[in-house]
Amino acid sequence: MSVGQPVKPETDETLHTSPSIDELVGTGPVVATPLWRVRLRLMRRSLGQNWALFRENKMGMVGLVLIAMFALMAISHPILMATVWDPAIYHPLRGHHAVVQEFTIVEEVTDETTQIELNEARIRLNPFVDVGEVVRIPTQPAPPTLTGEYPHLLGTDNQGRDILSQLLFSTRAAFFLGVVAALTSVVIATTVGSVAAYFGGWIDGGLMRFADLILLMPILPLLIVMSAAMEINMVMLGVIIGILNGFGGVAIVLKSQALSIKVKAFIDAAKVAGGGDWHVIFRHIVPNVLPLTFLYMMFGITEAIAIEATLSFFGLLNVEMSWGLMIHFAQANGYLLSGTTYWWLLFPAGLAVTFMAFAFFLVGRGMDEVVNPRLRAR
Amino acid sequence: MTVISVEDMSGRSVDPRKPLLEVDDLVMHYKIKAGEVSAVDNVSFTVHQGEAVGLVGESGCGKTSVALSLLRLLPSNAEYISGQIRLDGQDLLQLTDNEMRARRWKDIAMVFQGAMNSWNPVYRVGDQIKEVLDTHFRGEMTYDEQRQHMEKLFAAVGLPAEMLDRYPHEFSGGMRQRAVIAMALACSPQLIIADEPTTALDVIVQDQILKELKRIQHEMGMSIIYISHDIAVIAEVTDSMGVMYAGKLVEYGDTADVFARPKHPYTYLLLKSTPSITGPRRQLAPLEGEPPNLLDPPTGCRFHPRCPFATEKCAMEEPPLADIGGGHRVACWHYEQVPDLEEALVR
Amino acid sequence: MTRFLARRLVQMAVLFVVFLTIVWLLLQAMPGDITNTMVGNPDIPPEVRMDIRERLGLDRPLWQQYLTYLVNFFRGEWGVSFSRYPQPVSNVIWAALPRTLVLFLTATLLAFWMGFKSGKLIAWGRGGTTEQTFIVGGVFLQTVFYPWFAIVMMWLFGFYLGWFPIGRFITAQVWQGSPFNANDMFEELIVTAFVAALVYTIGRQVVRRLATSVVWEGRFRSLLALVSVGGLVLYWYLHPGRTYAADIVHHLMLPVITLGLVTFGATMLLTRSAMLETLEDDYILTARAKGLPDKAIRDRHAARNAMLPVTTSLVLSLAFVIGGGIVTEFVFSWPGMGSLLLEAIRVSDIPLAAAILAMTGVLALFGHLVADILYSVLDPRIRIT
Repeated sequence: MSVGQPVKPETDETLHTSPSIDELVGTGPVVATPLWRVRLRLMRRSLGQNWALFRENKMGMVGLVLIAMFALMAISHPILMATVWDPAIYHPLRGHHAVVQEFTIVEEVTDETTQIELNEARIRLNPFVDVGEVVRIPTQPAPPTLTGEYPHLLGTDNQGRDILSQLLFSTRAAFFLGVVAALTSVVIATTVGSVAAYFGGWIDGGLMRFADLILLMPILPLLIVMSAAMEINMVMLGVIIGILNGFGGVAIVLKSQALSIKVKAFIDAAKVAGGGDWHVIFRHIVPNVLPLTFLYMMFGITEAIAIEATLSFFGLLNVEMSWGLMIHFAQANGYLLSGTTYWWLLFPAGLAVTFMAFAFFLVGRGMDEVVNPRLRAR
Repeated sequence: MTVISVEDMSGRSVDPRKPLLEVDDLVMHYKIKAGEVSAVDNVSFTVHQGEAVGLVGESGCGKTSVALSLLRLLPSNAEYISGQIRLDGQDLLQLTDNEMRARRWKDIAMVFQGAMNSWNPVYRVGDQIKEVLDTHFRGEMTYDEQRQHMEKLFAAVGLPAEMLDRYPHEFSGGMRQRAVIAMALACSPQLIIADEPTTALDVIVQDQILKELKRIQHEMGMSIIYISHDIAVIAEVTDSMGVMYAGKLVEYGDTADVFARPKHPYTYLLLKSTPSITGPRRQLAPLEGEPPNLLDPPTGCRFHPRCPFATEKCAMEEPPLADIGGGHRVACWHYEQVPDLEEALVR
Repeated sequence: MTRFLARRLVQMAVLFVVFLTIVWLLLQAMPGDITNTMVGNPDIPPEVRMDIRERLGLDRPLWQQYLTYLVNFFRGEWGVSFSRYPQPVSNVIWAALPRTLVLFLTATLLAFWMGFKSGKLIAWGRGGTTEQTFIVGGVFLQTVFYPWFAIVMMWLFGFYLGWFPIGRFITAQVWQGSPFNANDMFEELIVTAFVAALVYTIGRQVVRRLATSVVWEGRFRSLLALVSVGGLVLYWYLHPGRTYAADIVHHLMLPVITLGLVTFGATMLLTRSAMLETLEDDYILTARAKGLPDKAIRDRHAARNAMLPVTTSLVLSLAFVIGGGIVTEFVFSWPGMGSLLLEAIRVSDIPLAAAILAMTGVLALFGHLVADILYSVLDPRIRIT
């Protein structure tokens, strides 16, 4: 059902159109604003929009708050060490304090933290003590003490070192590792994904098959065996995890993002305009892929923290102090099953790892809703 | 109640004077964050046995809401304010969920908009039809009997029986549409609602489907309600038609009558804006403006902001749907002013 | 379908060779050569070391060593274990493999089944405090530090509440003087469970072909379930060694639950979002219009389609579950390949460690293959084009 020729509308009203090009660009001389400034303006505007969207999201904000708390923890340690804390006592690695605790002498010990057996007391103090007496003995590990000359808010470990100090000290390492791993993975994934998207063909196929393999490879056993081959420290671990992640799943996602219609048009246009391959890749593809990149960075940090903690827990990493290592000490020295008796050896470190991973996970989920409009509240 | 075989369905006696479905002053709105959307406002019409009724209007005019109301398939934020939907005298809005569920498909079946996606991609088409039989006639048919019935259904819509064992993605668009119609017939309903049955089909297939539906309607004495925004479709297959605008029924009557002599300004403008291949060239008169926001509908007649015949009275008082003779009903204060269309519709 | 399978198998083989190459490269990175650790071992005389060096071809050019390594691996010759000299590595691994597989499979299957069910119910229920609780719980399970979590679980349920034994494969005292061998009994458990599952699966297909109507098919299916589960239970009830078998199962439970909980959380969250998307599809409206009961719409239509993306995620989570399995075995002292790996690393038993690493690769690839096949079974659009 079509009509032969275009017909003049009955009224003289002109149709209302979208804002004219003039309005958008401005009618001044073309050279007026340098391109980089326009780009900056656009970037700031989009960042502002994205931030507004992100702020609406409760999950993301909670995550950010948690991360801020951890950042505070990391900063607080050197400050505390320089001011309030005596390094001889509170140093996470070399400090020592055998806290003097009160014990009741009994014939049979039912509670290790408050009672001491008669013979042992006689050996450690003097042969004249008897059942029922309350004696004071320096102990390690000691439960949390809030008073005294040198309070230990989270107790001490079995070498007499302050747990809180260790906890705060390890925060720095966790951040460091997370950032190294995330950055490495993002750099590699963006490059790989963009290259694969741009060149297509067998380069694309090969890279993707390789990514499939990496995705499948169980990282933990691989790292366990690697730790026997070489001494792995934080930096190395971060880089290795970053490489593995970067070539793996993230690359696949970034490639498909780079191939999305919007970016494909950029690619075609830029190719026609005569831009060199790498120029196109880095000036056009990468900026469009970046938001998704940040998203995966968050999840990458979560994974890196968990892997490091697990490896430290097994005692396979060459690190001075980390949360995982704290739990390792607890386990290696036989305090695993103590549960609530020596809880401060186990819970602070375990919760720290959990909540840090949780924080980045939440931020990632929050960003997901910004990047992926389908997920926004219906 | 046993399923009526396809042969029995042909030759069902229908009395065109007996009302099958009566929609009586239906009022319904949707609750959203911003307020209440008045989607259906005092809509009344009657479908008789063996009759084909059409409902036409722009997107968002409420015709789909009316259709879904008949089966009570509206989403949870829909509220019925007043009115009745009587099927064989019984008000469907008063039934419990379970009672309604039992009547769905068995008494009223529906052919959906975009019937392509009416099919679950992971099951065979035959199994999905069998599902309806198992639900409504559980224990009354053996597998063999079910198979025979389904094969006859497919034959009735012109599909080979082997396709019953295929998956939906193996069907072409037109075949999928026929299969949907076959499934709609499975429980031999008295009424079928066809919501945009031909959208997204190419014109040739469109024609075939419409002819098919018309044939089924006549052979099996079924009543059909056609919902469409495409006037041409309505013109081709319906006996009576209603025009809906902004949740209200503005005109209703014999299809030929409404087409030849539209009495509501909206209908008039709608028909005038439809070009015709066979008729003489004339100037198109597109409707200006947009349908109103139903969160806050206009006072008085809902069409008055766009109506060339509107007066102050139209803005203040809502015109009732009044009979102007011969079963032709119009809701307009100035229906006499609506001019005749230059040509009669060519069928 | 067979072409698809053949193609996948070839792909798997290629990937595996690449993986083996990586393992071999790692081996080369080890300080010294493989036989270094043998030097200090008094059980291994120096002539044997020389002999092994020659047999392993350590005096031949590198590429030759690589090829020999590959060939040997596929032939099942994985060398001799240093820490358990003179047992060959393959023996050690075959003994431990069933224990790891059972832990891994039971945990994964259980977790997926329960996770899918809960995710499905939550998505259908639409809001409310139950949903919030489950979501928070699910996120917690996904992000919790697993070793810590496992320790807490073991302490809570094993030590504090005493519901389960504290780690290990069996409780030695129970087995004192028993005429049965723990490993044999374990294998018997596996075989009978597998047979029961097989009977049920095949039986269902048979029933479907033979049944004449819906009602009869339903009845036969219930009967079949009764027979297979009941048969299994009856078999073990009448078995003379049932207390010993019960002991093994008792020890298995806590590690399975712990490992399963994490996968459960992830599956549940994923199923929920997949369901929420599926529920928007058109055929759901059609299903409602057809007058189907709520359960049928939820399970047969929505959930069945939600299964597709969830199965894809199965693959991705495999790598994690394998790692989690290692931690679980360590914390619970479950004598599987994970514990073996850690011990091997500790004592620098390189052949054993390398072979276990390679086996994990096999496991991962195999799991991937199974998931692929499962996906193509579930989605006819892939199978039939």
